[in-house]
This record gives sequence, C-alpha cells and structure tokens, in this order.
Amino acid sequence: MAYTAVGCMADAKDLMGRYCDGEANAFRELYALVSPRLYGYLVKMARSRPVADDLLQQTFMKVHRARTAYIRGADPVPWIYSIAHRTFLDEARRTKRAVVRVGDEDALLEIAADLEGQTVDRRDDGADPELVQAALDALASLPAQQREAVVLTKLEGKSVAEAAEIAGTTVGAMKVRAHRGYEALRNLLGKTPKTEPKTAAGGRQ
Amino acid sequence: MTDPVDQLAAMPPPLAPALGKDLEAVLGNLTPVRTRRPLRHLLVLGALSLFYGAVLVVVLATRRDMRELPMGWLAGVALGWLFGFLVPSYFALVPRAGTMNPRWQVAAIAAVVAAVGFVSLGLAVHPMGPSSENYGVDRFGHGHTCLEIGLATALMPVVIGAVFLRGALPVGSRWIAAALGAGGGCLGGLVLHLHCRVADGLHVGLIHGGVVVIAALLSAAIVPRTVRQGSG
Repeated sequence: MAYTAVGCMADAKDLMGRYCDGEANAFRELYALVSPRLYGYLVKMARSRPVADDLLQQTFMKVHRARTAYIRGADPVPWIYSIAHRTFLDEARRTKRAVVRVGDEDALLEIAADLEGQTVDRRDDGADPELVQAALDALASLPAQQREAVVLTKLEGKSVAEAAEIAGTTVGAMKVRAHRGYEALRNLLGKTPKTEPKTAAGGRQ
Repeated sequence: MTDPVDQLAAMPPPLAPALGKDLEAVLGNLTPVRTRRPLRHLLVLGALSLFYGAVLVVVLATRRDMRELPMGWLAGVALGWLFGFLVPSYFALVPRAGTMNPRWQVAAIAAVVAAVGFVSLGLAVHPMGPSSENYGVDRFGHGHTCLEIGLATALMPVVIGAVFLRGALPVGSRWIAAALGAGGGCLGGLVLHLHCRVADGLHVGLIHGGVVVIAALLSAAIVPRTVRQGSG
C-alpha cells in the first residue's frame, strides 16, 4: 500500500488549497485521498457501516461549510479527523446508543480499498478473517475513549501526539487511554472465542 | 503475523462510499473563499480592541490619582495587562505552524495564569495616592460599575475572535474561548487600570482581576457554540 503520511499531507495541502480556490475536482480528489482511512476510523468507532457512511458524509459537509477556516499551507488531515471525531461524538450523544449489536448483519469486515478507492483483496495480505473479526469484536467492546485511542494509535498509525490533537485531549491522557485500551484488548483476545459475535456496550464519550 | 490486532492494523482501509448527493450538489455551486490568516486576524483583533479600549479610556476619563502613583508601577502593570491581553489572544487565534487545530492546552494555561495572576497581583500590590479612593469591604459592592466596564471592554476582542474562529475549532473550543475571554478581560483590566481611582486591594484584585475570571468563564460558556458552527 502506497500510503505515507508525508505524501498524503503534501497532497492534502495542495488539494485543500485548490478546493478553497473553487476547484470542485480538488475536493473530489481530497475526498478520494482521505475518505478510505477516515471511513475505516469511523467504521471502527461507530461499529456500523450505515452509521459510518452517514458520519463520513456529514464530516465532509462540515469540512465544506468550514472551509474558510483553512490555513493555507497547513495539513488539513488532522483537522478533518477532528471534525470526524466531533461528528461521531455528537451522533453518539444524539442517539444515546448504549448497546450496539456487532454481528453478521453489520459485519465490519468487508472488501478493503487502497487510497485511490480501488478494492484490494485482503486475502493477499495473509490475514486470518477469524482473527481479524475477533479483534474487531474485542475492539467494539472497549469504552469509546479507549477504542478511539487504540484505533488512532495502533490501527491508523497516528503518533500519540497526533491522536491527542485529533481527539482534543492531552498527550498524557491519550497515552493512558491507548495503553489501557490495548491491555484490555489483549485480555479480551486472550479470553474470548475468536468468532463468537458479542454484544458491545458503548462507553462514556 | 498471528496477533489479531497486528492483522487488523495491517489491513488496508475499507472501500469508502462515493460522494453523497448533498456534497455533489454543493460542489456544483463552489466559489473561491478567503481562507483564515491567523496572524493577520490577531493583528486586526489587537488593533481594533486597543482602539476600542483607548476610546473608552478617553470617554470615561483617566484616573485622577495617576500623577500621584509610582510611574514604574503604573507603566509596569499597564504592560502586564497588555501582555495579558495579547498572549492568550495569540494562543487562541494562531495554531502551530503547519497545523490547523488550536493550541488549546497552551491557551488554557495562558488563560489560567492571566486570571490567577491578575487577581493575586491586585490583592498584593496596590499603591495609593492622596486622590485615590478606598472602598474596602464596606463598599466592595459599589465596584460593580468597574465590573461592567471591564466586561463591556472584553466583549470586543471576544466577539472579533469568535468571528475569526468560526468553524475552525472542532476540538478544544471551550479552552480557546476561555483564553479569548481572559485576553478580553485583561484589556478590560487595562482600561480600568487607567480609569479607576479606587485603589484598595480588594477592589483591584477581586473586581479588576475578577473581570478576567468572569470574562473567561462567560466566554467559555457562550463562544464554543459559535466557533463550532460549521465544523462541529
């Protein structure tokens, strides 16, 4: 996969600048560049593809409405992630979704895409679908803050500082959340059967 | 690779849905926009607010005991108030180079330091001249006019800052708003420092310094709704 933070950032800056200059295609390219990762983050946070779909569209609508807040030359990706984070929190509060069923209907494990939006056959990665589903199920059972910390730092490859910036918290708090989340995840994966769907309780936002 | 979490991390991102109809619709009418320029905004906020403060001092008149007070203290404290206005405003408006998200932690520290610092300073150091007034505890409540003047002064930088930050703060908006309020409160403190001749510690500390605290709290309560509009 050709995703690199530096390359993505340079492109995102350029695209955001051109989009603010009125180029609609730049927005489409920005969407194609950022949305796969962002969608992955939202799917893991919302634990539901339809909800994540809606959150992704809401996030980019907010990016559009707030585009005058862009600072030329700045990396817009953490800002877009922060908007997605806020959108997820608002949605979670609005619906007060205390319990979410993670099962076959809403299976999070689906065909993946590369950064250009092309599908990727994940079986080529040598990933075991049962293990991955077990990890997703365990992840879904974590409190939202710990889940976000694990998703951002472990799965999205963000540094602790970047994750803290996105979530609007301190580096120390993010470290603690990531550590506790990862420990809980390891404990869960060590104890639970790999493929059994489980009921996941949403934590404090 | 047998660790499930590592396997999950190694998976490529999922296939994202295509742009929705609403987004496609807004892209049809896309026009160029003026983007945010934080340093220019800080300059505008500083210039307009200081001008407004200067007009207030002229309208309200300078304190009668000004020439009786130590010039070093008078100028030093005025500079302190000015610094207290500019530093939190800077951290509220200007993110780190190359980033867009606010420096809310530094802004929060600046707001707290300004609030605690000016209350403590006013309580501790408050020279008086023959023309100075002393309200003390008995007439402490009479100081509400100063509170009103201070908050009215703080309104200008807070409103300007909120306009400039509209849509820019998906996270950290409450602390950024508090910093804007504290900065505005310090400008109010500067106006009061040059206008008010009541020089007892309780009045200077709790009323003049209190303007910073109240402006920060009010701003933190009200402004986030505005600055999150669009992005939040």
